[in-house]
Amino acid sequence: MSVSYTHLAFTIFGIVPLIGVLVLSFSSWTGLTQNVPFSGLDSWKSVLTDPGLPHALWITFLIMALSWLAQTPLSILIGVFIAGHQRYRAVLAVLFFIPLLLSQAAIAITYKMLLDPNFGLGASLGWGFLQQDWLGEGKLAIGVIIFVVSWQWIPFHSLIYQGGVRQIPTAMYEAAEIDGAGRVRKFFSITLPQLKYTIITSSTLMVVGSLTFFDLIWVLTAGGPADATRALAVDMYVRGFRSGLMGPASAIAVILVLLGLGLALLVRRLGGRDAAESQLEGI
Amino acid sequence: MKRRNFLSLTAGAAAATGLAEETACGNSGPADTTTGGGSGGGDAATYWFLSGPPGEPIRQGAVDRFNKANSGNQIKVTTFQNDTYKDKLKTAIGAGQAPSIIWGWGGGGLKSYVDAGQVDDLTDWFAQNAAVKNKLFPASFGPATVDGKIYAMPAETVQPIIVLYNKEAFEKAGVAAPPQTWSELMSILPKFNDKGIAPFSLAGQSRWTNMMWLEMLFDRIGGPEVFNNAYDGQKDAWSNPAALDALGKIQELINAKGFVKGFSSVTADSNADQALLYRGKAAMELHGSWSYGIIKSDGGNFIKDGKLGFASFPAVDGGKGDPTNVYGNAGQFLSISSKATDKQKETAKKFFASMLDDTEQQGWIDSGGVPIVQGSNAKLASSPDKDFLNFIYDVSSKAKNFGQSWDQALSPSSAETLLQNISKLFQLQISPQQFATNMNATIGK
Amino acid sequence: MTIVLDSREAGKAAHAAPSSNGRRPRWMQYNWLGGLAGWLWLVIVLVPIYWIVITSFKLQTDYFSTNPLVPPSSPTLENYRFVLENHFVRYFFNSVIVTLGAVVPAVVVSFMAAYAIVRGSAVSRFIRTVNAVFLMGLAIPLQAVIIPVYLLIIKLQMYDSLGAIILPSIAFAIPLSVLVLSNFIRDIPKELFESMRMDGATEWGTLWRLALPLTRPALVTVTIYQGLQVWNGFLLPLILTQSPERRVLPLALTAFQGQYNINIPAVLASVMLTTLPILVLYVVGRRQMLSGLTAGFGK
Repeated sequence: MSVSYTHLAFTIFGIVPLIGVLVLSFSSWTGLTQNVPFSGLDSWKSVLTDPGLPHALWITFLIMALSWLAQTPLSILIGVFIAGHQRYRAVLAVLFFIPLLLSQAAIAITYKMLLDPNFGLGASLGWGFLQQDWLGEGKLAIGVIIFVVSWQWIPFHSLIYQGGVRQIPTAMYEAAEIDGAGRVRKFFSITLPQLKYTIITSSTLMVVGSLTFFDLIWVLTAGGPADATRALAVDMYVRGFRSGLMGPASAIAVILVLLGLGLALLVRRLGGRDAAESQLEGI
Repeated sequence: MKRRNFLSLTAGAAAATGLAEETACGNSGPADTTTGGGSGGGDAATYWFLSGPPGEPIRQGAVDRFNKANSGNQIKVTTFQNDTYKDKLKTAIGAGQAPSIIWGWGGGGLKSYVDAGQVDDLTDWFAQNAAVKNKLFPASFGPATVDGKIYAMPAETVQPIIVLYNKEAFEKAGVAAPPQTWSELMSILPKFNDKGIAPFSLAGQSRWTNMMWLEMLFDRIGGPEVFNNAYDGQKDAWSNPAALDALGKIQELINAKGFVKGFSSVTADSNADQALLYRGKAAMELHGSWSYGIIKSDGGNFIKDGKLGFASFPAVDGGKGDPTNVYGNAGQFLSISSKATDKQKETAKKFFASMLDDTEQQGWIDSGGVPIVQGSNAKLASSPDKDFLNFIYDVSSKAKNFGQSWDQALSPSSAETLLQNISKLFQLQISPQQFATNMNATIGK
Repeated sequence: MTIVLDSREAGKAAHAAPSSNGRRPRWMQYNWLGGLAGWLWLVIVLVPIYWIVITSFKLQTDYFSTNPLVPPSSPTLENYRFVLENHFVRYFFNSVIVTLGAVVPAVVVSFMAAYAIVRGSAVSRFIRTVNAVFLMGLAIPLQAVIIPVYLLIIKLQMYDSLGAIILPSIAFAIPLSVLVLSNFIRDIPKELFESMRMDGATEWGTLWRLALPLTRPALVTVTIYQGLQVWNGFLLPLILTQSPERRVLPLALTAFQGQYNINIPAVLASVMLTTLPILVLYVVGRRQMLSGLTAGFGK
């Protein structure tokens, strides 16, 4: 019952456009005409032989991996910390929440201004290390993107972990204390394993979310300097909307969808469920 | 199972493409008053343009006066912010829902609309309405023309690229006047740097700002034909010795600390580059003439106190290009959607004939711009900005060649490649030779 | 899980004397690493926010001539007046309608779908296929399909309505929501389902009385996540609406960007006005939300 309604809504706005994209990837549409001229495999050939593709894949992977690496440990640490019931920690949790509420455009404007080498933070405080060519140097620009992503999303993931930590029965800690376990050992032998499913949930959101990461990169660097932050979604947008090459752009969209599918399956497998799934669900 | 999947896939594909066709067909009929986009919506012609100061109130005013004077022909306006406008327009055109009047930049973008059959040929209309055509700068028709036919009505103001400078910074560094030649330009760099003033401000993150340097240098060294050859698709046109010379000169300028430190992180949309100039952190800037308006509104008393100077781009010793040549925007360009109804087209043409009346001209002059109307300099004398406006009028009207911004002249896909390579060139990631090779690869595509 | 835990606890209690629980000094109990991370992160979070707050009280003409971190010497409310005069309230309510209209149905429907997928996969080939299709939707970038979506909306005669934003938003929220929720429902011990069935509960009853309370943390997570996505969504409203009466807040931000420049303080004032109501909502509803995040099994 419910499945069919969901399915209907999703089919109309999710799958039909997706098929449209697949069709377009075999065309040389410019996005400006109403008839779509088909050109066979031309778009695919041009995309797959373009050195820009492996580069965009690499940047996408880099942003995905680095933002996961940056966010996960910090989110867990902060999540554990604000899970304490002290009042000031509740206040902290409120303050942490604010970046989540800002739109990508607002965040990008804020950081562009703060990172300006002449009128930004570095110039204001007179701290030389803050006066870098933040958006003008490839590696720094990637770093900036990772940082800004973390700035916005760590609070959210911390909240998830805070919820996760509070679910862990205190009895388990008491038992471990009786065994003489220290704080570090308790963290690694109880907290972390107990957070397994929370980690999976949070990682799914992070990893899959990073694939379609577009707005922030676009307003912050537009894929630049040169092509240093040109991730797949940005590459697709530039080709499609800026260059008017809807065929190749659609081919990249198809690649993105396949990547997302692969990742989702991978995350599930890492969760260790697939093997036992059929039996479990056969009740 | 397999078979069913396949069937549903093809059915879906058919539905997706069928949709596109249907919306296209349904467009001319009267039934589409309920569909969205532009061309529908009954009799009124639709007109989308950019929001925000200084242009929006002037554009709106022109429409209001037209609507008041022509009760039988109404124009409905929707405004968008710069970047969002381009996306919105592209989607609308692709879906056959373009506004009746398409506000744009001419050149390569216009050509892509022409190739897609989306805009009407106005050549005959201009022939019948010679008064409308003769009123405007002849140079403004360049970007409106594709393969010898006129597809757009030039409008608004002319915006050449000029050198703006801070007189106070010049005094501090002991430099008397802006450089007349390239060698002079290179020789005064240390004087500014010694005083802790960057010689040139540059919003390098925005890429098209860097491009203005190349436009001017290419022209000064080899004349307009260097770029025009590339534009016309001549093989290896970017390897022209004049081009390589210009590309090398830019990298020399960067190496000689000609630009503000960290220029690749400075963004044009925040106007931090103009701020560098009026705050005295940089002595000069090469920019479009519209930056005068920005400095006027953001820079406090900078202009009032007479601290802003302006000059033409210096000549290059031994260069072939005429030193009066200039690049920039020759105007804005309004086209008529081929999907509009006859009534809407009629309204649009009437509106074109009414454009740039005295009130509108005055509006542009008050905003710090020069309307693309012949003899509009007669109106400049009463403006508080008359020195600047007369300078712009002279630069634009006396130019032997008024070239169009490269990114607007080229096809959208070549423009994107160009901007990317310019970004790399300015970061010294690629040599002039590599730049030429990369750009030669786009020729003929 | 509960069962395992209980037996272990019982075992421990049997051979360890409760008196010897070796209390360490208070300072050692403090989570130093977490504390450091927490406080440090607070500074990192607050600096840009502080900048937004003080800059929203500056005049655009003063922006580049004042130190960005120093509050304005004569704060102005000009920007706030400007923003409020630009139909802020209307945009705000449009945003509220769109967000609620998209997230509530999306989460409810995803929850039911996730339940059906977990409980029905083994018996129904159809449901397994549905699940695979959902997974495919995970990485559809909105930019890639915006033109087909636009055509659909026009075809449905919904262009320039709030519904035009809501429907695709629901569709794009579903895949990730279903994935997260179904992962969570899978964790519910099968014994619980078994006992519900023994009690004679229908699947429908089990869905609401067993799965819903046990999935609350994930539901809250998903609701917040999708709510923020819709609230801050930019592309759909841009492409699918046109008239000022249908504008939502993210579009309103661009109203302060001119052709050549951007009124930074006005943008920030608008950001402040957008954020404050939600922040208040969060402070008020925080307890509820946290208990949502914490509720679950094992208690």
